[in-house]
Amino acid sequence: MRAGILANSLPAALRIYDEVKRVEGCEPFVILCPAAEESRTHSLARHLARLLLKRGRLKSLRLLSGRRVFLFQAPLDHPQSIARLGKLRLDVGLHKAGSIYRDPTIKAFRLGILNPHIGLLPEFRGRNVMEWSLILGQPAGITVFFIDSGIDTGREIVLREEVDLSHCASLAEARQYLFDLDARYFRRALELLRSNNFEHQVNDGSGRRYFVMSKLFRGVVEKIIEAKS
Amino acid sequence: MRRELIATALAERLGELRGGISARLAPEKFREDEGFVSEVRALLLNASAADLNDSVPEVSAPGAWTEADTDCLASLRALSLGQTLRLRPGRPAPVDSFLEALTISRGDPAERFRLLAERYSCPPNFTLPSEDAVREHVLTRLMAQDRARVERETIEAVNADDLLLRLSLVALYAARASDLRFLDALNYYYELLPAGWQPRGSNNWLLASYFALYARALAARIG
Repeated sequence: MRAGILANSLPAALRIYDEVKRVEGCEPFVILCPAAEESRTHSLARHLARLLLKRGRLKSLRLLSGRRVFLFQAPLDHPQSIARLGKLRLDVGLHKAGSIYRDPTIKAFRLGILNPHIGLLPEFRGRNVMEWSLILGQPAGITVFFIDSGIDTGREIVLREEVDLSHCASLAEARQYLFDLDARYFRRALELLRSNNFEHQVNDGSGRRYFVMSKLFRGVVEKIIEAKS
Repeated sequence: MRRELIATALAERLGELRGGISARLAPEKFREDEGFVSEVRALLLNASAADLNDSVPEVSAPGAWTEADTDCLASLRALSLGQTLRLRPGRPAPVDSFLEALTISRGDPAERFRLLAERYSCPPNFTLPSEDAVREHVLTRLMAQDRARVERETIEAVNADDLLLRLSLVALYAARASDLRFLDALNYYYELLPAGWQPRGSNNWLLASYFALYARALAARIG
């Protein structure tokens, strides 16, 4: 299985790369694409600076020299990028870029693009879903699903699991904890996809779309987390 | 514990809103609407949370569409001051075609204002179960597209009349709904709007309506 990690920076992709390469039969690649409205020059300069300044330089260079990293000069939805994705014959994309994908980009992957959503679907779609779960007295969790061009409306759920946050002392820590689980959940999702008896769950769209939460309610969530920790 | 924390936060916000209303609403800046704005300001300064909660507009029986003697804007003024509308049974226009018109007008705030004011000439109808899809549409436009635009640019980038009419309608629903997303949209805009903002719309008094109906929604959730 050829998996393309869609990221805006190499350091962000490395953790996922290390985790998913453990999946038997999985061949990971890193697709570096410019952030939205970023120029080619700025994108290249940013990648170079990160390569030089961030930890993991040797590993990054090894991946680059081993042709495991592809630097795209246009955003993922650009026809040039879509054509290039097609040539890479990738089975699955792993979302780590700050992009919203359109249909042609999604269809460039045989199975689609996986997203590790930090909320439980179908109930919690949209933004700040961890916070909304907690303020509504519902469990926090992660759902890995194949995206479509809507807001968390992709129908195929690969993995959906509640996550205990009681060890987190603050809202920021809880969010970071969930975000940092992405690599592990990608690996588990890929393992499930490779298993013979895998059947996806259905995101039936029955949930609500949530929006960015106010400072007032985030303050409430902070207190809920503090009280639980 | 969770419910208490929410109620405490909302009570604090209500206190903050009432305490800061003099700075946010200067009646003399509203010209011919000075009297209405003064009344709203006095009401918010003097009424207790219980008084505000008592004057949350009652919605007619679920599913029952009503008509009022006044139009949307006049009704909102009355509701902002805690007055009761004289309602009589009415017949709603189909919601699907209205939603379609609303969607088509997404780039035309003046047309959207007209559509909303026309359909909700009796504003409590916005809270009826039949209007669920319209409410979702209104909430999504407020909290996704318009919020992003204001944050990317300034509050002047959006049509003030259109924004404040939608916030006022949302506030009517938030006062009675268990769905906290609507109340939080009001929280969010309270934090987002510049403290000294003077809307440029021809119905800039809707700012006072928004504050009054937001205060009632907060009071209802505290109570």
